[in-house]
Amino acid sequence: MRADRLVLGAFLALLLLVPAILSPYYVTLLNYIGLYAMVALGLVLLTGVGGLTSFGQAAFVGLGAYTTAALTTATDLPAWLAWAGTSPWLTLVVGLLLTAVVAVLIGSLTLKLSGHFLPLGTIAWGISLYFLFGTMESLGGHTGISGIPAIGLLGWTLDEGGEIYYLIWAFLLVAMLTTHNLLDSREGRAIRALKGGRIMAEAMGVDTSRSRMVIFVIAALLACASGWLYAHMQRFVNPTPFGVHIGIEYLFMAVVGGAGYVWGAIVGAGVITVLKQWLQNWLPSLLGATGSFETIVFGLLMVLVLHRAREGLWPILKKLVPVRAVRKTIDADAEPLPRRTLPKAGELILEAKDVTRRFGGLIANNNMSLEVRAGEILALIGPNGAGKSTMFNQISGVDTPTSGEVRFLGKPVAGHDSREIARMGMSRTFQHVRLLPTMSVLENVAIGAHLRSDKGVLSSAWRLDRAEEARILKEAARQIERVGLAEHMYEEAGSLALGQQRILEIARALCADPCLLLLDEPAAGLRLKEKEALGELLRKLRSEGMATLIVEHDMDFVMSLVDRVVVMEFGQKIAEGLPDEIQQNPAVLEAYLGGVE
Amino acid sequence: MTQQTQAGAPSNANAKNPVLEVRDLCVSYGKVEALTNASLTVGEGQIVTVIGPNGAGKTTMLSAIMGVLGSRGRIAFDGSVEGVPEVERMVARGMTLVPEKRELFGEMSVEDNLVLGAFQRYRMGKRDHAQTLEEVYALFPRLKERRDQAAGTMSGGERQMLAVGRALMAKPKLLMLDEPSLGLAPLITREIFRIITELRRRGVSILLVEQNARAALQVADYAYVLETGQVAMQGPAHELADDPRVIEAYLGLGGKHQAMLST
Repeated sequence: MRADRLVLGAFLALLLLVPAILSPYYVTLLNYIGLYAMVALGLVLLTGVGGLTSFGQAAFVGLGAYTTAALTTATDLPAWLAWAGTSPWLTLVVGLLLTAVVAVLIGSLTLKLSGHFLPLGTIAWGISLYFLFGTMESLGGHTGISGIPAIGLLGWTLDEGGEIYYLIWAFLLVAMLTTHNLLDSREGRAIRALKGGRIMAEAMGVDTSRSRMVIFVIAALLACASGWLYAHMQRFVNPTPFGVHIGIEYLFMAVVGGAGYVWGAIVGAGVITVLKQWLQNWLPSLLGATGSFETIVFGLLMVLVLHRAREGLWPILKKLVPVRAVRKTIDADAEPLPRRTLPKAGELILEAKDVTRRFGGLIANNNMSLEVRAGEILALIGPNGAGKSTMFNQISGVDTPTSGEVRFLGKPVAGHDSREIARMGMSRTFQHVRLLPTMSVLENVAIGAHLRSDKGVLSSAWRLDRAEEARILKEAARQIERVGLAEHMYEEAGSLALGQQRILEIARALCADPCLLLLDEPAAGLRLKEKEALGELLRKLRSEGMATLIVEHDMDFVMSLVDRVVVMEFGQKIAEGLPDEIQQNPAVLEAYLGGVE
Repeated sequence: MTQQTQAGAPSNANAKNPVLEVRDLCVSYGKVEALTNASLTVGEGQIVTVIGPNGAGKTTMLSAIMGVLGSRGRIAFDGSVEGVPEVERMVARGMTLVPEKRELFGEMSVEDNLVLGAFQRYRMGKRDHAQTLEEVYALFPRLKERRDQAAGTMSGGERQMLAVGRALMAKPKLLMLDEPSLGLAPLITREIFRIITELRRRGVSILLVEQNARAALQVADYAYVLETGQVAMQGPAHELADDPRVIEAYLGLGGKHQAMLST
């Protein structure tokens, strides 16, 4: 029996026994913790993992609570809606659907915002929904709605704290399990790339706008379900628990518990709920005066936690429990992913024609033309600031030329975003390494295979994607071995030396099964042996028919590897030819290589 | 003679008045030991280079000496031992590090970046930054041309010049350079190496970690080979450059372009 299974089993057994052992007061407390944790779980996904800060989650809780309250207590529902009021389970469905629709609407308006505008946006709609509940006469105004029926389940009526307790925690555990599953999948890697890796993820074919929407809707649905449970536990709702200040509290729970971890949601909700109760009870008697001291002490404690434990409490707790992260296993028997048929050697892959790119008065690329054929390595060299990176951006579709055209496999690149170009078979590395430092090397490389599978959110959440996932991991492992990083496969990518991180990027690019590789300074920071190994790999890829465009300053490396060289200076092509010719070219010697004095 | 080091054995005997003496330095990331009993000495006015494969612990060593990373061992700088090196204090005492990623303040102007380099001196009442600025501009005329430009908009070579220039604003006794030629075109790399030798002429001691091992060994006085966190070899730079093991592992044959970089 693995230790982590044992700990989990003990935890579940304890949960099961709680209503039998503890007094109703503590059961109620646990009910609240479960409800809060469900909302906090959404925030773990949204804020901790996805990097989208929301203060407005309480409004979605309200949406869930009010939907069920209004429908189950109404006496004069129109005929077409009358079916919904007959059972809380039906109102749950209605509530979830309504929340999904509202979340998509709000999300499409606010998720495009970046930086501090997004949190401000969430505050804005958080406030408006709150006031909507309070002002609508049919929703009971500020007095609220009472007389909400209890939930019936298989003949039981869950009208006591100890009964609904099981329902709440079952909901929470299912939510945690699915969230955990989701994060450990193809879609999950895309979601985890949202924070700090959007440009990279887009270049690997991830639709990051869609991923942002997905986690926003999931977080809203979790909040809605929590609201539904709350309404039927309290049997009464009013607008107070759905205001923005509660939304802030939810965010606190996620952050204090550990915003990057699924278990952080329970820890955060637990610590904050219990602490508030205790402080409320003890502080007045301790200080001998009445007042809301708990809020003040609470605030100070929050500052302390944020100072001492940026990652939240869960990572600290985890060290105390004898649980170790389970290493991913590579299934050697997994079927290999399908591969594209590479074009025949000599076939024209990439063609840039008279590409000019102006930035205001500055001409970064002037009439640049180049072509790359299958089974060929072309080097693009030139001084720093000559416009090589700009040229790379025109080719990879990150930027659009002012005039001229880039064609990839005969189709114009302009008008396609990075994702479509990645799908067509162009894969790149970045001059300034872009990877997810806290994810393992294996998972970083697996992002490269994003477009080679299509398992979505639901199949990930319910583990229907395991065969595909095994294939992706096997492919990632294969590429990691190929570039020589096998011994680092399970290490955090951020712990590698810079040169190795560049190699990781090559493995990630290869994982996409491209027919054109764009490598931006792949040998920078590498040592002799590593350069030799890289050169070997690139030669092997060339012999398989890969077309490669490489920007690199190490001339010993370039000149012994590539087939042809294009030299740029001041945005223009100053020379093109075989490596030997280029090394004799006076213009190149003067502008770039040096050696004529 | 190149020698295999025993832990703690004195080394770099040529170094008169060592500016930096590191003994048995160990650094761990969690349970993984990245640096094990590494010892190294930089003499006054010397260029000392550390070569070795990726992940050998070179950057880790510089960070530990600078006090950015916690470490065990003995670090003596400019004659006195630093119990727990702390980065502000090391800068104040005349040590600067030019990090691998440059770490410029991208939205600030070139000149503001430079002036910030003299921050510790300014605090200690040595407010001669206007003059130091002119010295740095004399060394890097390009920076003067671009003094009002935002640092983030400059090309790779200019950024590296700025990073070195900013370090020089602190008037360091010991300048530590982590991969100064990373991502730079050959001509600019030569310029950087020219400046490194020029700095030695002016009396700055330099600890150099550099990917162009051949060029680094050509300019350096003394060299260490760091492998898997340990000093594997050391010796006068020109001797190491001829050592067959070093040639086999780090220099290779016929690196004519690299050899040109330090001429």
